[in-house]
Amino acid sequence: MSGQTLTPLQTTASVERRPRTGERRFDVFQVIPYIIFFVLLISVVLLNPRLLRLSVLETKLNAAFPLLCVTFAQSLIILTGGIDLSIGGILSIATAIAATQMTGDPGSIIFWTLAILAAGALAGAINGLIVTKMRVTPFIATLATWSIWSGIALFILPKEGGVMPAVLKTIVQKGGILGLPKSLYLVVLLALAWQFLKRTRFVTRLYAIGSNRKNAHLSGTPIHATLIMAYALSGLLASLGGIYRTIQYSTGSPTAGDPFILTSAAAVIMGGMSLAGGRGSIGASLIGAFILLLINDLNYFLGVSTFFTPMVQGVLLILAVAIQSLGNYLRQRRLAL
Amino acid sequence: MADLELKHAKKRFGAVVALDDATLQCNRGEVHGLVGQNGAGKSTLVKILAGVVAADAGEITLDGRPLNVRNPAAAIAAGIGMVFQELSLIPDLTVAANVFYGRERANGLGISPRGLQRDAAALFDRLGIQDLDPAAEVRDLPLAQRQLCEIAKVLARDPAVIILDEATSALGARDAEWLIETARRLARSGKVIIYISHNLRDVQNISDRLTVFRNGQDVGVRAAGEATADELVALILGRRASRLFPPRTEPIGHEVVLAGAHLAGGARLHDFSLSLHQGEILGIGGLTGQGQDELFRGLYGMLRLRGEVQAHGKPVQLSNPRVALGAGIRLALVPEDRASQGLVLALPVLHNLSLSVLPRLLKLGLVSSRDELRMSDELIARLAIRLNSRLAPANSLSGGNQQKVVLGRLLATEPAILMLYDSTRGVDVGTKAEIFQLLRELTAKGSAVLFYSTDVDELVNMSDRVLVMRQGRSEAELAGADLTEENVIRASLGEPVKRAGAPITTGQTALVAEGGVQ
Amino acid sequence: MTAVLNIVRRNPTVIMAYLLAFLMVVAVSILRPGFGSPTHLRSLLIEAAVIGIVALGQTVVIISGGIDLSIPWVLNSTAVLMTVLTLGQNERMIWAIPVVLLAAATVGAINGLAIAYLQITPVIMTLAVNGILLGVMAGVASGGLNIGYERGAPPPIILGLARNPILGLPAVIWIWLSLIAAITIGLARSGWGRYTYAIGNNNVAATYAGVNVKVMQVLTYIISATMSGVAGIILAGKFGRAYLGMGDPFQFGSVAAVVVGGASILGGSGNYIGTVAGALILTVLTALLPIFKLPAAAQNIVYGLVVLGTVYLAGLSRAKESY
Repeated sequence: MSGQTLTPLQTTASVERRPRTGERRFDVFQVIPYIIFFVLLISVVLLNPRLLRLSVLETKLNAAFPLLCVTFAQSLIILTGGIDLSIGGILSIATAIAATQMTGDPGSIIFWTLAILAAGALAGAINGLIVTKMRVTPFIATLATWSIWSGIALFILPKEGGVMPAVLKTIVQKGGILGLPKSLYLVVLLALAWQFLKRTRFVTRLYAIGSNRKNAHLSGTPIHATLIMAYALSGLLASLGGIYRTIQYSTGSPTAGDPFILTSAAAVIMGGMSLAGGRGSIGASLIGAFILLLINDLNYFLGVSTFFTPMVQGVLLILAVAIQSLGNYLRQRRLAL
Repeated sequence: MADLELKHAKKRFGAVVALDDATLQCNRGEVHGLVGQNGAGKSTLVKILAGVVAADAGEITLDGRPLNVRNPAAAIAAGIGMVFQELSLIPDLTVAANVFYGRERANGLGISPRGLQRDAAALFDRLGIQDLDPAAEVRDLPLAQRQLCEIAKVLARDPAVIILDEATSALGARDAEWLIETARRLARSGKVIIYISHNLRDVQNISDRLTVFRNGQDVGVRAAGEATADELVALILGRRASRLFPPRTEPIGHEVVLAGAHLAGGARLHDFSLSLHQGEILGIGGLTGQGQDELFRGLYGMLRLRGEVQAHGKPVQLSNPRVALGAGIRLALVPEDRASQGLVLALPVLHNLSLSVLPRLLKLGLVSSRDELRMSDELIARLAIRLNSRLAPANSLSGGNQQKVVLGRLLATEPAILMLYDSTRGVDVGTKAEIFQLLRELTAKGSAVLFYSTDVDELVNMSDRVLVMRQGRSEAELAGADLTEENVIRASLGEPVKRAGAPITTGQTALVAEGGVQ
Repeated sequence: MTAVLNIVRRNPTVIMAYLLAFLMVVAVSILRPGFGSPTHLRSLLIEAAVIGIVALGQTVVIISGGIDLSIPWVLNSTAVLMTVLTLGQNERMIWAIPVVLLAAATVGAINGLAIAYLQITPVIMTLAVNGILLGVMAGVASGGLNIGYERGAPPPIILGLARNPILGLPAVIWIWLSLIAAITIGLARSGWGRYTYAIGNNNVAATYAGVNVKVMQVLTYIISATMSGVAGIILAGKFGRAYLGMGDPFQFGSVAAVVVGGASILGGSGNYIGTVAGALILTVLTALLPIFKLPAAAQNIVYGLVVLGTVYLAGLSRAKESY
């Protein structure tokens, strides 16, 4: 080989001519969440054809949107190899501020919406600062800040209550555009947002940090800045979900966010994302959220008491993680690593 | 003034002095080799250049201007490209994504994975890289291709300074030649190429000049063509080699204490057989990554092996380290990485020493202080471990003493067979001599030793026999007059070995079996 | 005794924690005389004991490098099961208590087996088990929130644990003291303790050293679940009944006590004496805040800040990555 001249520049280099030396098999495991989703969807629709009626669809999607926002937020953090236990607290603060401050006046609505989103981003940024500059591991950091955000929410709104301008509900949640529920558009927007985000350098960096933080550092990644940004974005999304939820219930609650913490983590895992970070798709996490919601519906129609929901979720969570573990184990065996 | 200068660099890590007023001066247009033993400071020096480690003192200039290498991102921006020995790839991203990491081309719709892959294919064509698939995920790639990817990543940035740290260690012959060609071409185009390798011959072949490091200092700069191997080795070691190695005192026994037939496992061990006799020191040689890691870890029970293993004449299933250390087999391993595998660094030295034999020290379920302290005193004295207090955490000790603690822990199990995996890496010369002396004592008392070393000198002078591994198989068995450094290196590279008194024969040699397993 | 002295000598933060707790009590007793009365202090001590016992399991698990988020509902389930099985009769306790504790231990074993052998992360596994137990309990109770009320109270002996003094202190305190002694000696001096610290610091090196890492991991989760069970029984006695949700405060509380006591959440360091200090501080804090007429909101905020602060301070002395 030495002495041989290098191959000249080929102007039509094509990827297909490269040797397929890597394992580019179609990754079966990635598709599983989608399959489960469709199976459940069909089952639920068959059990309850009324679901296809627009008014019912609208209610269901309205109820789903906050969870989707929080799942999106949680996915961002889990992608980096962390977890955000305070996300529920941020959502609670959002409902608290919304329910106590917003009046029917358009100016007030716009101002307070922006203010709440900014507050959520700020809370997230603080999470990010604690995790990076104070070097506290995400689990403890967000466990502690969850307590703090909950406290702030309680301070603003000591009891469930407050009032939301009714006009918001009509604008945002009722009626349709082109015959389809408004919330459907919002869900689609969320999915599109992921399609856009995943093509940014920011998200590539998130994957890198989650995959191997040390090598991401060696490759020149601004780790602290990227993480703080991720947590801030996460907080913003959580407060978005909080605003929506407050509109839906027409009141705020200082503990509104708590159920979302475990459910969002479950949704992310059901969507196939690894808790270790660096792998997975936020789109699949959103599917995971839908899977959980459909299971609730299924339980209801099968006559299973809703009290058993946490149990079903728990079992599913374990199964999902066990499957992931199995997939990893098989992959390592196959590659004999 | 040289084009790239790192002058009077100093760096210490806790108690260990890595660089002690070291200076490196390289020019554009040359391939500059760095040689020296493990722990001599070469890696630390280039890590400072790459922004990974911050020097305690020292000035860095490129083309006369001071260089900001405060962190890896700054170093990259300043034009320093480093091919890391441990690789800096992101496992869950594709080859293309890794190669263009941080400089992805983006249009209005963002980054396109397909676009990155096309760009990567074009880049590979331009550079002459043939074996790399841009769409593959790095975590699925074998080591050789990962190394190729790491190199491509650095070359893609077109840096002014390229540092190759053991960059050919896993590459096949064709790709290694490609890299050497490319390095020369890039040097001629005006870059500074720094080449680090254990393989003295390689370094001399590739480099125009080389700097020798010893004990954290630069001890000589030579033109590669002019320096003889002996001169270089003398500079590297600082003293003549033979004094390090104590001679054998007892004859080798006949009993085969450990035998393996057609062992295979992991990614790189394909078909390896060995038989180890009582009182024998059997050396394993070869370039890194030829299956030695899998062999040692497999024999210790950390990795599943195919093939038959017999210990003390009886077939055994080595399913985990507990079994290996157990009464029937008494096989102990000093692992490759003392920091992450050999010691629990945060725990006291005392606790590390007793960790493998706790059941023996228990009275009524509690650890007997007296017994434990007595045992540790004996070990510390026997191994001459230098420390301030037994209760100090293990990470407060120097590298050599840490290694002694690992040895101590295993000696406490009274092993019949002791395996050592590159155990003198990063260990100072004095401690090395002590370790070798210890090995002689052990074998004189009847234990057997299986040891792998990347230091050929060590291998040749301490072993009774050497099995050189290449591509997961036994390439050659060397003993007696055939056991020379040159032969070990030849066999490592797959070249025919010079048998004393016999014409040159080719590669694979059948294992000389003395009873035992075939 | 030497074990305790050694711990105290090597952990100045622990001493400070005890001093802090002591000073807080003294300061508040001066401001509010009723605070320092023997009855009040005794009831504070009982509360601290319950957190302390629960946090014992969490301490062991965290030192070994894991975490147990199933404590709330293991505690709750045990309390309910005990009430249901004993039907308020002392005689039934002889078999009921062991059965109940065995059930708790089994849950712990399930946690440990999945974590050690199936490689499921502790956060997920224990959280999932927590949810499963919640679902089972809620489903079985069919929404009834006060199962004890329907089925009767715990047996008189259990009721007396928190009330009737033996040699001046309620039985609960004696139980706690013996557990403190057992675990402190165990962690510091037994083979099991050594293995636990080794695993929490570097389980790869521990494996190379011949430690049976998987079995140790299962053991730690069994201990944690059993302690939660003990706490559940005691708590049911203290309240006079078992009700759904009684375990929830201990989710955060157990972790907080361990972490405030100086253990690293990442594992490998810390000891139970520190956790005891943490439990005391948290109990005193909880008692303090109402006195200053701080609303529940402020309690949450103070908790969070205290935990953050202590974790940060404890982490300062440890070597960390620079990125």
